[in-house]
Amino acid sequence: MRPLRLLTCGSVDDGKSTLIGRLLFDSKALLVDQIEALERSRGTRNRDGTIDLSLVTDGLEAEREQGITIDVAHRYFATARRKFIIADAPGHEQFTRNMVTAASRSDVAVLLIDVTKLDFTADELALLPQTKRHAALAHLLGLRHVVVAVNKMDAIGYDATRFRRVVAAFERLATALDIAAFTPVPVSALRGDGVVAHTENTDWYTGPALLPLLESLPLEEAKGDDGTAHLAVQWVTRDTDDEHRRWITGTLSDGAIAVGASIRVFPGGDAATVMALRTARGDASTARPGDAIALLLDRQIDVARGDWLMAEAAPATGSRHANAALAWLDDAPLVIGRRYLARHGTRTLPVRVTGIRAALDLEAGRWSNASTGAVAERNAIVQAELEFAAPLPLAPYTQSVARGAFVLVDPGTHTTAAAGMVA
Amino acid sequence: MTARDAFLNAASSGPSELRTANPHLDWLENEAIEILREVFGSFARPALLCSFGKDSLVVLHLARKAAAPGRMPLPLVHIDTGHNFPEVIAFRERVCAAQGLTLIVGHLETSIARGSIRLGHATESRNRHQTVTLLETIEANRFDALVGGARRDEEKARAKERVFSHRDAFGQWQPRAQRPELWSLYNAHLAPGEHFRVFPISNWTELDVWQYIAREGIELPSIYYHHRRPVVERGGLLVPVTELTPVRSDESAVERDVRFRTVGDISCTCPVASTAANAAEVIHETITATASERGATRMDDRAHDAAMERRKKEGYF
Ligand SMILES: Nc1nc2c(ncn2[C@@H]2O[C@H](COP(=O)(O)OP(=O)(O)O)[C@@H](O)[C@H]2O)c(=O)[nH]1
Repeated sequence: MRPLRLLTCGSVDDGKSTLIGRLLFDSKALLVDQIEALERSRGTRNRDGTIDLSLVTDGLEAEREQGITIDVAHRYFATARRKFIIADAPGHEQFTRNMVTAASRSDVAVLLIDVTKLDFTADELALLPQTKRHAALAHLLGLRHVVVAVNKMDAIGYDATRFRRVVAAFERLATALDIAAFTPVPVSALRGDGVVAHTENTDWYTGPALLPLLESLPLEEAKGDDGTAHLAVQWVTRDTDDEHRRWITGTLSDGAIAVGASIRVFPGGDAATVMALRTARGDASTARPGDAIALLLDRQIDVARGDWLMAEAAPATGSRHANAALAWLDDAPLVIGRRYLARHGTRTLPVRVTGIRAALDLEAGRWSNASTGAVAERNAIVQAELEFAAPLPLAPYTQSVARGAFVLVDPGTHTTAAAGMVA
Repeated sequence: MTARDAFLNAASSGPSELRTANPHLDWLENEAIEILREVFGSFARPALLCSFGKDSLVVLHLARKAAAPGRMPLPLVHIDTGHNFPEVIAFRERVCAAQGLTLIVGHLETSIARGSIRLGHATESRNRHQTVTLLETIEANRFDALVGGARRDEEKARAKERVFSHRDAFGQWQPRAQRPELWSLYNAHLAPGEHFRVFPISNWTELDVWQYIAREGIELPSIYYHHRRPVVERGGLLVPVTELTPVRSDESAVERDVRFRTVGDISCTCPVASTAANAAEVIHETITATASERGATRMDDRAHDAAMERRKKEGYF
């Protein structure tokens, strides 16, 4: 099985660090000397004298001093069944920026809900605004699975009824956001119930515990695999033998390719046939989406980094215009009409945002029409119209991440200004 | 049975997915090759920083795959502290000759002679001084990208490191000004004098590295495997007896079965007790290990939990 990349999201004090620490600790990925280092540092104990597991994940010194995590951190652990890559996105201020970044490289979102923060006296249980934001962003970024970890069950006496009320509230949210499916799990990150296995405290729950659930989540290959292979050309090299034939390299997306296939170059439209293929394992007759490949064509055609090779069946014309969701990441707000640099595939080219059509209200989970003169500030999500300097083989993000995702770079500061997803 | 027990059982007995098919290694390999081709395709003067330790040798192997069937498009850079294990230097010379690789060596001695490095005393650990020679080598060769073998699981300060890690004109890492990294759309834009460190095996663990070495048959310097060597036991570490680390008057040396887990400055790199004679045996030991890599082998990290973060900010590897 390929590694499962999971994104954890929660607000400050929901128990996210404790939960990650618990996953690492219980899978014994926390090696002895790391534990000793924790024990040596100051103030690392909970009041009852057990090690504070949340400190396992706090990285940089400055953050330790402030007692908060401020940037996406990565953690790794493996079980007999699977390797896991955790992207830990902190849940306060910069949260949209961090979560969008982490989500773009994840398969699954684990959303934490802290039951001690909910008001169970209300007739209809309301989830916190941050839970709505996390769910809306997970959906926007197209994560394949959403796992809802209902945490601190110990603090409410492992009350099954209250758990079911949380699940019902999340069901309403999922319906509103158009999230097709999610899996809830009752846990106590602190005590360990429901993490590696259910204990007698949570045995009323019939679904799997968190870790077994994550171990068994299926990952279909590249989503929206429409069968039309695409390759964003990364680098062109030559054989070391006398013939000096040109090999075109890149990572395959959207569909499989085989020796003998007819392909077209974008832009330009020149056609050719695949003569030979190499994957990481050497010569191959076919390659699948996600494979880093090199291929040799039957004729000399003009191809360079930034171009695409695509299956003959793919649409031949690209587009210079797109409607796309933009997650604005930079401190400086978007300037309509200003020239930015876009990176799409392996190509970098000038782009302009010509207008903002709508803004995403993360708490309501709804797009609302933008007034004229609307701006996108840091952490805003907007629906924008863009004009690229040249046609691109764009596809809706929901169909193809390879052709539907792009980033905007500020040409002055070189900061990554926005994440874009073609509508 | 805990997850860890299940893992141990699966990994050490019978043909299991983790030991044989390893589809997760294919995934990591594809990701690393994609990152390396980004470097080949987007920088004018890239180089591969190689200590000839296991992680950089895995990156070298991946770089050759990424380049195949073409020629390796970047030179290797070795920062030579002068405090080397002779086995590693012999290995370096042999591998570069056999594979036709271009090697650029930055000598710490040169920086000492220029006065840009001043040692506290002649035999002190040279690890922290490597940064100066590295930055001088980068400037002299006008490198705009250095590929390295750092992994995020090695140490806390690295957990937030980017794959494409931007360094300012002083070679410094600015943890608070890191560029968000989205999908595999890396932002490799540079201003004059700046450069990138690029880490293709960011997402690999020590175990992944050893499994890959075993699967691919990657050759390592002999000190990575079992040998007998005189050591003294000092503060829970096995300190090798060398010219730079002689036996103290109150100690006595003993011959022990050991192997090294990293190849650093000879004055501060310690072996662990081991009889593992090949990568498969190291994997077995690694899975059952109770001490993580740096903790057991680097004397200078013991001092402070945040030692690595400090060195990184200064431009360390
Ligand atoms: N009762 C209870 N407390 C918890 C649980 N998980 C975390 N906590 C506590 O909640 C506080 C915040 O946890 P932490 O993991 O630092 O939260 P983070 O800010 O989301 O990373 C700490 O005092 C934890 O001990 C749990 O399952 N039950």
